[in-house]
Amino acid sequence: MAADDNHSVLEQDLQDARDALDEGHFPLDFFNNDELHELEKERIFAQSWVFIGHESEIPEPGDYARRYIGDDTFIFVRSESGEINLLFDSCRHRGAKVCRAEQGNTSHFRCPYHGWTYKNDGEAAGMPQKSKAFKELDREDHGLVHVPRLETYEGLVFASIAEEGPTLDEWLGDFKWYFDIHMKLPEGGMEVIGEPHRWVIDANWKTIADNFNGDSYHTAWAHGSVLDLELGGEETVGHAGTGDSMDRHIHCDGHTTSMRGFEGEDVFMTYPDEIVEDLFTKEGLSEEQWQVARQALSFTGGIFPNFGFLHFGDTTDDPNKDVAPFFTIRKWRPVGPNQMELWSWGLAPKNAPQEFKDRMYKIYTSNFGPTGNFEQDDAPIWKGITDMAKGQFPKSQNLQLNYQMGLDWMSDMSLDEEWDGPGFAYSENLEEGGMRLFHEQWYEMLAGNAREDALGTSMNIREEQ
Amino acid sequence: MKLSEREDEIEELLVEREVRQFLNYEAELLDSRKLHEWFDHIADDISYRMPRRLMRENTAESFSEKGYYFNEDYGSLEARVKRFDSEYAWAERPPTRTERYVTNVVIQEYDEETVKVTDNLLIYLSRGDSEEHTFYSAKRHDTLRRRDDSFEIVERDIRLNQTVLSTDNVSIFL
Repeated sequence: MAADDNHSVLEQDLQDARDALDEGHFPLDFFNNDELHELEKERIFAQSWVFIGHESEIPEPGDYARRYIGDDTFIFVRSESGEINLLFDSCRHRGAKVCRAEQGNTSHFRCPYHGWTYKNDGEAAGMPQKSKAFKELDREDHGLVHVPRLETYEGLVFASIAEEGPTLDEWLGDFKWYFDIHMKLPEGGMEVIGEPHRWVIDANWKTIADNFNGDSYHTAWAHGSVLDLELGGEETVGHAGTGDSMDRHIHCDGHTTSMRGFEGEDVFMTYPDEIVEDLFTKEGLSEEQWQVARQALSFTGGIFPNFGFLHFGDTTDDPNKDVAPFFTIRKWRPVGPNQMELWSWGLAPKNAPQEFKDRMYKIYTSNFGPTGNFEQDDAPIWKGITDMAKGQFPKSQNLQLNYQMGLDWMSDMSLDEEWDGPGFAYSENLEEGGMRLFHEQWYEMLAGNAREDALGTSMNIREEQ
Repeated sequence: MKLSEREDEIEELLVEREVRQFLNYEAELLDSRKLHEWFDHIADDISYRMPRRLMRENTAESFSEKGYYFNEDYGSLEARVKRFDSEYAWAERPPTRTERYVTNVVIQEYDEETVKVTDNLLIYLSRGDSEEHTFYSAKRHDTLRRRDDSFEIVERDIRLNQTVLSTDNVSIFL
């Protein structure tokens, strides 16, 4: 088959997959496919806003950390004047890497090959023997290359390697209403503790994206060990669709969050009273956001395409100790059709007492990250999906995965009409519309369309179509 | 020199032998996933830590002051051990096949009650129905305390070589 024919076959496969989504289906073989991986890099990761890091990771001038977008490596660095930059880690002379550490502090980056030197804002500072060897070369045109677009939201730095496209503000849209709750609830905001955990999993990135976009259904089963041990409360880890909690699945401008809480109660994710009283503030939040925070026990969510978060209450590292909350943000970086690198950060309120920050980080590592009592059990499952997707059988049999939960002929799913926040709030957590929304956006971007083409089509409830 | 004049060295050799025997026995318990028998050798005042290793330009051995994989006391370590009794602990169903190689055992100091020891640990790991395998490599700083005819572990500081882990998770004890 000629290359063009191959391409049209893929296009037809993509169109078929899009059509199947309306019925709540998505093909298994799309979770391990070389061609799709290449397309995803080009059409999603090179076009989207991708999370880089939090400002608190590089607090001082000269602080830097190596960070990645797809296959590209950048230096996330605070310049002498305090500005945050994202510089492509490649010397303008022969292309060698100029940054040799994962993280550190420096005023200059010096190329090991011929000694070209750059300031920490990227400007070229020195080229050995320039006056003899490169006398006509314009230093200003030979600085380290900045990423075209770099923006910050509440200390969270995102970048896009596309010259044009929606702003970060437009990309996040009204979903900021929800994420504001996490970042602005404590006076002074949140900060990252230590360095991110990094580990490579032999699984396709869309498996974890599915999981963070509203998989309340897996929790009690995949994480039954946590429930068995009473390391997490029934309402945090228990079966979806059970118990007395107020459960909501929210889809907003292409991003999602799942929430569990207790109606009318002061829960505040089980933050201790002294934190709630001394640190939590209504200042950056509306009354409606405050009420959501007040009643919330836990949040999970995803920002398209590869950012996820968990802000959980009622968990512990030892059933004989008090429960406490933890807050983690993470990104999944595809490194192959069947492999991703996970990055996971633990956060705590910046102005909380050190002892409490330590406790939150401890609860984070006990539950998530590579050693987490929850997360240990997720990764092998995602690897299993990826393994099964790679062969001939899924394609020859046209095996379709099931994402039908919450579709109108499967359950009596309804919207919470009283919900004060933006987007759609589903009144139960037994639905998989967040994952369908994720795949729909994935499709639009791979097809070369705008991501927004996927927005607002509430296919979860047919009557609305 | 006569043997009778080398009593200090002989005593140290015997301590080293006892420690080596204990570390080998402990490795055997962990390789065969006799986790509760292993946990019997954990002291009530255990500090079990594995800091996050950092990659820095000028220092070979650099570890995070704040970030870690493990920072366990008795209760949280016990919870991690008990978790694997659950039929839902999917990470170890089926169990990882491991072999621990404990080498470079050096007694740093000792008295009648405790021994401080460092060693190198290489763990072969393979999982599932596959030929794939990987390794963890680490230096451990232990404090052991004599109890009955054996030792209990009072402090363990695991200095992993990896900065980016190559396994799906860390569901074994090092």
